[in-house]
Amino acid sequence: MTTQTSRVVVTHHYAASPERVFDAFLDVQIARRFLFATPTGEMIVAEIEPRVGGRFTFTERRPDMGDVRHVGEYLEIDRPRRLVFTFGVPQFDPRTTTVTVEIQPKGEGCELTLTNDGVPPDYAKRNQEGWTRILAGLQPAYDGVHAAGWL
Amino acid sequence: MGEYRTLDHTLIALADPTRRAILGRLAAGEARVTDIAAPFPISLNSVSKHIRLLERADLVRRRKRGREHLLALNPEPLGALAKWTQEQRALWAWRLGELDKVLTEERP
Repeated sequence: MTTQTSRVVVTHHYAASPERVFDAFLDVQIARRFLFATPTGEMIVAEIEPRVGGRFTFTERRPDMGDVRHVGEYLEIDRPRRLVFTFGVPQFDPRTTTVTVEIQPKGEGCELTLTNDGVPPDYAKRNQEGWTRILAGLQPAYDGVHAAGWL
Repeated sequence: MGEYRTLDHTLIALADPTRRAILGRLAAGEARVTDIAAPFPISLNSVSKHIRLLERADLVRRRKRGREHLLALNPEPLGALAKWTQEQRALWAWRLGELDKVLTEERP
């Protein structure tokens, strides 16, 4: 039984080749400039062991929160198509979430899809119409209980 | 970090398919506890435990009508989750944009 509640999915098109984009995630000098960065923070530690089972640490100094340390482990490294790693911020929460990076060649460059699993449910709209629609989507699960003959 | 504690309660409440199904049912309108419990192949006691977790997260509110307990959906906590999730998405989108900048700068 999964306790996963939902995911965040973001896509981006790059003019660069899949290999270049893929390598950016495992090259510490490039990764430190974007991977666990925030707009106002300064990356003070970036360490990567780029192998399956290897770990990484990114510590960013943030004006509002002090030093925030991200740690994780590489689960899959399939250059240049797919990279999967866990990460967490132990000082805030012992749990980790999983990030999957998938890269497809497209035109002259490539398209990257990043999926962060284990984050709160994607209730895209905050208004009443939005959540009603979302919860209506849960209804089949309830109906399924009937359909399965458990009544 | 009271905000995170509230988010945690919301997440825990939503992390179970039975509880999500209960919310799905309540999205259609107020219902009696016994009616909510009927379709599930688990005891009324188990369903009551699920409902208590939903109440703790303030996703479900209970009122009495005579001897009946009526449950209603309260969507407010979902708004806080929506805000949090949107922030996460915006952050990842920003990071992927930063990577684009780095790659563009370094292009030979």
